[in-house]
Amino acid sequence: MPHKQQIDPKTLLRCSVCEAVNRDREGDVYCHRCGSRIFRNPKLSTSKAWAFLITALILYVPANLYPILISEQFSSHTGNTIIGGIILLWEEGSYPIAMIILVASVLVPILKFIVLLYLLINTHLKKQRYSRVGQHRLHYMTEVIGPWSMVDVFVVAILTGLVHIGQIRVIAGPGATAFVLMVLFTMFAALSLDTRLFKEKEPYGRDQSTDH
Amino acid sequence: MAQLPREEVALDRLIICPKCHTIHQKVEIPKGKSAKCDKCGRILYHYDARILDHGLALGITGLLLFFVSNLFPLVRVEMLGHEQHVTIISMVFSLFENGFYVVGVVVAFMVFIFPLMILVVYIMINWLMMQHKGAQLTKELLVLLSKLLPWNMLEIYLVSILVALVKLIGLMQIHFGLSFWALALFVLLDIYLSKSIRIGEFWELRRRIYYAP
Repeated sequence: MPHKQQIDPKTLLRCSVCEAVNRDREGDVYCHRCGSRIFRNPKLSTSKAWAFLITALILYVPANLYPILISEQFSSHTGNTIIGGIILLWEEGSYPIAMIILVASVLVPILKFIVLLYLLINTHLKKQRYSRVGQHRLHYMTEVIGPWSMVDVFVVAILTGLVHIGQIRVIAGPGATAFVLMVLFTMFAALSLDTRLFKEKEPYGRDQSTDH
Repeated sequence: MAQLPREEVALDRLIICPKCHTIHQKVEIPKGKSAKCDKCGRILYHYDARILDHGLALGITGLLLFFVSNLFPLVRVEMLGHEQHVTIISMVFSLFENGFYVVGVVVAFMVFIFPLMILVVYIMINWLMMQHKGAQLTKELLVLLSKLLPWNMLEIYLVSILVALVKLIGLMQIHFGLSFWALALFVLLDIYLSKSIRIGEFWELRRRIYYAP
């Protein structure tokens, strides 16, 4: 009969689907409560996370180079890239909106890239240089702020649906497709990251914080 | 009633903080209170004795607001005597008309299909557990619900409408439609529902309803 004391807290896992506590039995782990696979082979999930992240990084280039929004006014076309749109808004004096777009479409994706790259590289190191709790917090943060980079895509979608009045028309640009895919792939990368690989700086059993 | 293995019962007395992964032992808390992680302060669980009644009421209200916000125009714009309006569905269709299929599909899922599915699944779970029916079905629905939740982006969509309108100020006259206010209300409700649905509490309740102690 398993007593509380016999379960080593270091082997406990949180099911990301139903939040139940499970024991880590290496390899594939299925949740006892909801039956979902919590983790498959960590090597496979790390490669998957890398693949998603690299795809997202590649997509980030066309997302920024191609216009995300094209406005047609009396037969003159002007394309706006993400950065171009922000500069335009800033020059017009809509500072708060320029700031929202800057944070959502530029800073959030870059921050997500940096954090995911950092976490992924960390899983390959023997000695991890950041605490396990810190790594979990970083991962949680990327999951929370990640979706906000969709703001610009929704704005483009609304303008495309709203502005086709007479000779004036706004349509999405090729950058929008690249941007949507980039956001999707960064979300997939964050979801497929195996959080079991977040290890303590010190060897096992030295940390008091998880013992209560 | 089915019996759960001892180890599972022991494991279910523990909870891991989703934010910082500290392990806690669940404790009894008074009605209406919530338990917080002592390391990072994130709420771990609540004690809401009427969680199912509240859930069902909020779910049905949400569904009504969702229909209203899709039936009428969100925003109307006027310029040089021309008028144009947009609804969530017409927005998706104009993306398709312009050949942006990927953007159209992704946007349709995030602001229409997923929110609707979340509401329907949520109402079904609450109703089934109230009736003490469908032990297996509630399990599958709960799994589906937690997979859907991260992909609902209606609150981000609401902010996007405002950002888009600011871009149009000065160019044309803007009128908010009935659906905009319905959507704003719905998003408030939705934030409460999907950001504070603590899936763990429903699983806990499910165990108490369908399994012997």
